[in-house]
Amino acid sequence: MATRKASIAFAIQRFKGFWEQFRKSKRGITGLSIVIFFMVIALFAPVIAPYEPINPMEDVGQYPAYGPGIGRKIATRLCYPAWYKYMPNVPKGKIDLSEEFYNSITYVPEYKKTFQLFGRVGEENATDDVLFLSRRVSTLHSITATYLNESSDSIPSSDYVVKQYDPREIMLKKTYPNGTVFKVMYTTGVDIVENIEVIQDPTFASQTSFNEWSISTDQGFNVEYNSVKGFSNDGCLEISYLPTALPPETAKVTLSRAFKYPYWEPPRQVLMHLSFKLEGTQNASITFFFTREDKPEPFILRAYQLNASTSYEHKYFDALAPEVKANLGSEHPLDLIFAYPSNYTFSMQVTFDNPNASTKLYLDNAHCVIYGNAFGLLGTDNDDRFPRDIFSTLVYGTRISLLVGMLSAVFSTLIGLFLGLISGYVGGIVDEGIMRFADLLLVLPTLPLFIVLIIALRSVGTLISIWNIIIIITFFGWMGFARSVRSMVISLRERTFVEAAKAAGGGTMHIINRHILPNVFALVYITLATAVPGAIILEASLSWMGLGDPLVASWGKILYDFQSAGIALTKGLGEYWFWVFPACIAIALLATAFILMGYALDEILNPRLRQRR
Amino acid sequence: MGLRAYIIKRIIYMVILIWAVITVEFMIFNLLPGNPLEAYVSGMRGIITPERMAELRRAFGLDKPLHEQYLNTIVRLLTFNFGISAHSSAPVSSEIMRRLPNTLLLMGISTVLSIIAGSLIGVLTAYKRGGVFDTATVTLSLLTYSVPIFFIGWLLIFIFALQLHWLPSGLIQPQAWAHAPPSNFLEKIAGRLLHLALPTIELFLFSVGGWILLARACVLETITEDYVVTARAKGLKERTILYKHVLKNASLPIITNVALSLAFTISGAIITETLFSYDGMGLLTFRALNPPDLPVLQGIFFILALAVIIANFIADLLYGVVDPRVRYG
Repeated sequence: MATRKASIAFAIQRFKGFWEQFRKSKRGITGLSIVIFFMVIALFAPVIAPYEPINPMEDVGQYPAYGPGIGRKIATRLCYPAWYKYMPNVPKGKIDLSEEFYNSITYVPEYKKTFQLFGRVGEENATDDVLFLSRRVSTLHSITATYLNESSDSIPSSDYVVKQYDPREIMLKKTYPNGTVFKVMYTTGVDIVENIEVIQDPTFASQTSFNEWSISTDQGFNVEYNSVKGFSNDGCLEISYLPTALPPETAKVTLSRAFKYPYWEPPRQVLMHLSFKLEGTQNASITFFFTREDKPEPFILRAYQLNASTSYEHKYFDALAPEVKANLGSEHPLDLIFAYPSNYTFSMQVTFDNPNASTKLYLDNAHCVIYGNAFGLLGTDNDDRFPRDIFSTLVYGTRISLLVGMLSAVFSTLIGLFLGLISGYVGGIVDEGIMRFADLLLVLPTLPLFIVLIIALRSVGTLISIWNIIIIITFFGWMGFARSVRSMVISLRERTFVEAAKAAGGGTMHIINRHILPNVFALVYITLATAVPGAIILEASLSWMGLGDPLVASWGKILYDFQSAGIALTKGLGEYWFWVFPACIAIALLATAFILMGYALDEILNPRLRQRR
Repeated sequence: MGLRAYIIKRIIYMVILIWAVITVEFMIFNLLPGNPLEAYVSGMRGIITPERMAELRRAFGLDKPLHEQYLNTIVRLLTFNFGISAHSSAPVSSEIMRRLPNTLLLMGISTVLSIIAGSLIGVLTAYKRGGVFDTATVTLSLLTYSVPIFFIGWLLIFIFALQLHWLPSGLIQPQAWAHAPPSNFLEKIAGRLLHLALPTIELFLFSVGGWILLARACVLETITEDYVVTARAKGLKERTILYKHVLKNASLPIITNVALSLAFTISGAIITETLFSYDGMGLLTFRALNPPDLPVLQGIFFILALAVIIANFIADLLYGVVDPRVRYG
């Protein structure tokens, strides 16, 4: 008992001595603090990251309209970070643009004298007979036509027209010769648009949310807050009819919410959702529309017929749906509606046919979400269905990198230590066998080997998980360390203290435990620290090639998404640098931290280096 | 043991390694539960005719027992008969042969450059050890280990290709040359070199850090040896000591590491070629990933492993010639 206590005390003493030295090493402390920083992030990832990293969605209840168990997407894809608007060179407000088109009439059919095709300059095929601009026109300055290097003529404004319902389309009224190049100068609005939840409390959870609606009703209708009849037996809106002397044939109830749209740029998408339950025998219909302050007639998006039923039904639609486009007669409804910063109202108008005393309509889960082009701390990636919050992926990726790096370093070092000890101490044919095997593995090019192995595993239907990758990295990472342990053991084996232990009757295990292992351990710590960065980079490289675990969020996956989005070669890091910079810097930082720690350990534990200093 | 016995021993060792690589390939492609090659051929059902499938089965020896499949693998790989690429329908060996020179050119230039630059800088830092220059170089070299190579590649593309428009961002030659190659030989070389620039810089940056650290460590090792002290005591000039006594002895590990580093540089080349769409073995590998093209992967892996083995063999021979102690070890 006493000896154990003494040995523990001795170990603590030794650790204290080691810590004294380590504390003085600037490199070591820097490395250690970075590693601890990342460990804290990994540990508290669910607290730090606002969204789920793989399939992020807003939990909006289990509405059947979204499909079973599917929420609403958090943002549109390829969003900028919310802080992007503060960057110096990001255009906001009105900017002037010019675009060039060419005319490529090959023949003019008899029945359509003005038929001509316009193509964008630089593209091969002209397919449309309207000039399609890439952005909405706020003000059209001029259109000039140049034919075969002749001087350019300005087309008088009477000869063209911007389509009333589609501010991106320009019709030319005259026919121009083949090969004419048109240059359109126009002003458009650009902005960094954040998501807007028009209805802050869509589930009518409290009475106050009800008060934020402005309601106009025909005579006899009453709209009030009902706290128990909602979709999940919570709050909802109740519209009821108190019969008047002369029941009207049709009656209208309009519910509206005013909101401000402060951006020059149209939103990317607008989604709407409503749950309702109609009681009574009549049919009713509901119309969704937006109105802009300066424009009296509403932009009618969609109308639905409501049928009486005993349970809630759900309607869910996208403002870019074909029905909405048809209703507004525009290919770009959002361009049309959100033309400039202004005050808007979102309204739902219910029309009742022949209401009677038992007519009741409950409304719940009223969502109207305007999706912009900016989101979160680092924007979103380019996933089609559920774009991910890059910041959340980054935070959760810390876990994977640390896990892969540290586990594979520990396992491969242990294997290397074990095989090196056996090889060095036993010697003979065992030594020869292990070392030749190590030589073989050393000669195989690592990355191609991993690629071949993973693809082969995949083709027989194995799902590559993060554990497979750890095992593979471990299995091919022990050779170097086994070699150095072996050479160290061979020289230790011949030392006098080992001979003395043998002479005193010490067994093999005793000698390895008490005399050889303690001498090798300095090397173990150093190898542990320096093996981690290799594993981290290797995992990132595999993920970058699309060979990683598709079900976990890792730093390599962020880079893979960026690479496969194809932006690296077209726009480069210029526009979406915030997408990959953090992940790359995190990888570099974590790897460097372990290298620094390895160096510090090397200086402290390696006696030869200590002498040199 | 004389030089001849040494060479014979190395040749035998090389043959054993080649056999081992083939065995590893057999284990990966035929022995993994489910037999990946079999799964690959069955996966082509509906894409190719049943006759073609039967032909593929026969070529890979899949209808035979395992030991015959093993023999088949040995024969196929040794005769470079890897089969037909599923993507291009061309023989894998010709696909590889078409791209191997491009990869060798890229790796050759960048390796030579990084060895020269790395050794020079390494010797300098070792000579001025402890100073600011030394610390800065060592830190930067360590950074090249830890910064992901694709990040460096994206930066290079962005700065030199997209912002400054100095160098092309990808491919091995201008796109227009596919239809009309230039007649002028000089123009041809200039075009190729221009497209080689960014990948070479990338691969150079990838490997130069290792060479700096290695050269520095080797020089530091020899600089404390007794014969250097003796030379200094004799009153020799510092420069003579550095070049005649230190560098010559320190260069031995550098020579052996040229071959050993090849396996490492290949990993870098795969990523580099993919980043820059440089049409070499690396891009071929990347394109064979999705959908998987097993014959191509099998061929590439064998050729790359073979290259490393041969390079190691040559390095061993060189080492035996340069350092006589090895032969008697």
